[in-house]
Amino acid sequence: MLTARNLSFAYSDGKPVFEKVDLDIEQGGITVLIGPSGTGKTTLLRCLALLDPPRGGEIVVDETRFAFPDASQTNPAPPWPALTAVFQQLFLWPHLTLRENILLPVRLRGATNGEAELDKLIEAFDMQAFIERFPNEASLGQRQRVALARALMLKPRYLLLDEITSALDVEQIAKILGYLKTLRGQNIGIFIITHLLGFARHAADQVLFMADGTIAEHGGPEILKNPKTDRLYQFLSVIAAAS
Amino acid sequence: MTVLDILITYHIAFLQGLAVTLQLCAVIWSVGIAGGIALGIAGAQSKGWGRVVQWTSFGFSAIPALVILFWLHYPAQAVFNVVIDPFYTAAFTLALVNLFGVGEVVRQAVSDFPAQYLTAGRVCGMTTRQIVRHVQLPILFRQLLPSILILQVGMLHASLFASLISVEEIFRVAQRINSIIYRPIEIYTALALFFLAVCLPINLFAAWLKKRYTRDYSER
Repeated sequence: MLTARNLSFAYSDGKPVFEKVDLDIEQGGITVLIGPSGTGKTTLLRCLALLDPPRGGEIVVDETRFAFPDASQTNPAPPWPALTAVFQQLFLWPHLTLRENILLPVRLRGATNGEAELDKLIEAFDMQAFIERFPNEASLGQRQRVALARALMLKPRYLLLDEITSALDVEQIAKILGYLKTLRGQNIGIFIITHLLGFARHAADQVLFMADGTIAEHGGPEILKNPKTDRLYQFLSVIAAAS
Repeated sequence: MTVLDILITYHIAFLQGLAVTLQLCAVIWSVGIAGGIALGIAGAQSKGWGRVVQWTSFGFSAIPALVILFWLHYPAQAVFNVVIDPFYTAAFTLALVNLFGVGEVVRQAVSDFPAQYLTAGRVCGMTTRQIVRHVQLPILFRQLLPSILILQVGMLHASLFASLISVEEIFRVAQRINSIIYRPIEIYTALALFFLAVCLPINLFAAWLKKRYTRDYSER
């Protein structure tokens, strides 16, 4: 399990982004984080990925504990890529083709069956037509699929995803989200930031609603139908009105 | 006398001038590129060094190389009461200009290197060494090589200034031959052809590299 306790984060000027965040991400489960823009969802994901050190609190990845602040730098090395992330901006390396982008980290880890594994993902994500292109020759939706494939090829135990379906069409969203559901069977813990409430309703084991610098409400997907807090009710009303 | 006649008649003088020019360039290029890369990396890693590289580079780009060359050749040597071979003065001056020119180009490229490419490497479980080798260096190499090559062509052109402090490089040899036979059209045409033969391939290579590797990385 990936656990965060009492997590807080502030910008360098001291302005807090979030405080006292507690959450659990179970292997084989899907945790969906929703909330208005600018509430620190991506920052929380970066902290959980151990990329940005929180101001305080602790993160435990399976048996390994990371305490913050880590002034004496005694925390162990982050367990990448067992814990990995795919960001909204994707971060594909521009000098490599999409295929090379996926295979480079796999090859550097000494895996020999990368090509065969990749072929399965190429088919699953419908990437045959553009896999040999460079990132700047592919559309955002195509790059989103490649970034997700790169993370999956590393066989993570925890996969943190930040709005990775924002540029996909409905058909592709259905494919990707359907694939994510199948990862439950592979015992991968998925943490996903999304605005797709439909996905949260149908696939999530746990829904977290982040607002005003904290987890304002959490529970099963039923909280999207019967919110307990006014803040989540307002948020859902705005989304319903917009759609 | 045709260009060919002049080249044949004075080939020894031309070859000697060419050898001096190439020696001068060898010093300017090797010190500038190797030192500039080291200086640029140091400048990107330390704020203090970064400012030194940036401001010195600004200074050298503001003052014409010829002025620095003359200053180091005449007043500086008079002040310190030393006499230095003009070749070394020219090599030192132009190598220094090249050093900070390359240094600033490298410093900027390393400082502005997009952090997201490194982050991607980290979450993919790559070690720092692997990220540097497989991500950072290839991208920087593609970005930097065309700029550095064009800078080196500029330094080859600047090596002509050495003739003004009596370094027997190819331009000075051409001038001396012209003072003997007075065939400026042929002599300077030959000189232009020489620079064309050396610099055009480098410029074309830089342009090809730029086209080949420095693609538009912007997202669509």
